[in-house]
Amino acid sequence: MKLFRRGRVLQATFGCNPNSSSLGVDVTFLLFGSAFAAAMAVVLGALLRPSKDAR
Amino acid sequence: MKVARARAERFGGIVELESPRALLHVDRVMMEELGHARSPLWDLPPEGPLSAPTEVHVVLSRRCAAGCRGCYVGATPQGAALSHQEACRVLDELSAMGVFHVALGGGEALELDYLFAVAEHARRVGITPNLTTSGLGLDEQAAARCAIFGQINVSVDGVGEAYRSARGFDGYRHAERALRLLRAVKREVGVNCVVSRSSFERVGEVAALVRRLDLNELELLRFKPVGRGARLDEELTPEQGKRLWPMARRLVWRHRIRVKLDCSFAPMVFWHRPSARAAAFFGVQGCVGGDVLAAVQPEGALTGCSFAGRAEADALQPGAMQAAWGNGFGEFRNFVRDAPEPCASCEYLPLCRGGCRAVAQAHGPFVSPDPGCPRVQEHRGRRPLPVVAT
Repeated sequence: MKLFRRGRVLQATFGCNPNSSSLGVDVTFLLFGSAFAAAMAVVLGALLRPSKDAR
Repeated sequence: MKVARARAERFGGIVELESPRALLHVDRVMMEELGHARSPLWDLPPEGPLSAPTEVHVVLSRRCAAGCRGCYVGATPQGAALSHQEACRVLDELSAMGVFHVALGGGEALELDYLFAVAEHARRVGITPNLTTSGLGLDEQAAARCAIFGQINVSVDGVGEAYRSARGFDGYRHAERALRLLRAVKREVGVNCVVSRSSFERVGEVAALVRRLDLNELELLRFKPVGRGARLDEELTPEQGKRLWPMARRLVWRHRIRVKLDCSFAPMVFWHRPSARAAAFFGVQGCVGGDVLAAVQPEGALTGCSFAGRAEADALQPGAMQAAWGNGFGEFRNFVRDAPEPCASCEYLPLCRGGCRAVAQAHGPFVSPDPGCPRVQEHRGRRPLPVVAT
């Protein structure tokens, strides 16, 4: 039986950077730790998929 | 969620979202699910530099009348500038390379009468233009035109007298007025605050300002001893370096604002051992020069970062940036592979990438560890025991 693997979101950066050097640390997100990051990856992946139909 | 555009990478691809505004790295399977054709890049190992920077800092000019005492580009009223046509040609090539964002700055970009024409051109070719400004001289009419930018940050290194101490002139009232005018036009307005030895204890006042004016972010930038800043003794003390991350967390909780730290602060963050998985997911990294980030200088040089790095190409020559991207920037990209101690044995090296190259270069070789890193300071503080003859 072939297992179906869904695509994954590997990284997410929010907002735009107006600076010469601010591609660094978003303190707000880093505060919530790895469980939050894992949950965010799942949610973003789920939200991203339908968008291909909208395009 | 609305996808603006996407480009293939070795690991899969990068998807730009319009709402919420974000860049997502996704794997190859997700790219195919999103309807993208298989890319030749997927035949390569997933590790390696990006196919193009995601963001380029376009230093439009070294021209500024303010004369801030720590200006890192050494701007003067008659400094060099990219012309309107040159800036547009650079944007055309960056668009062809797949660059998503540009940070327009200087000098004072608002002093250029073609700034808005450049921003409109960026939009036309599919790049989001962002702006950093001192806000000096900004009036209601100019503020209204700033709606074209993605994010605009006004430089405020201190509130009231602290602004004058940091910048060398009394411009705080103008900066606050500019923030109010811009905030009346758009939501994506924030503050850039350079954190120096002298201003460290008063950053909280700037955070309170961000909250009071309902701005969307506070970006804390590390003081770097480059440009006119090289003459100042304003780098953080070792003790301040260790307190930086706890202070930033406190600002988030106390003022309920979004706080960002620039890439050069990465060593001070990783010293506190945050979750590496979370850091990787949210793109928390040290020096990303010559990979995620590049810069175009007013004289036309393409460099890995606005603060440091040799000229890799003449950005004004058609095709030169694209040609240089593939195999250039070795001094930035090879740091992790060739890292000296104590970086080599640091578990955060793939994320931190040795801290800031500009600060390292100001104190020694370009490829030396960042001397502001607490781990590096501790390593250098350990003297080898004398050999005792028996």
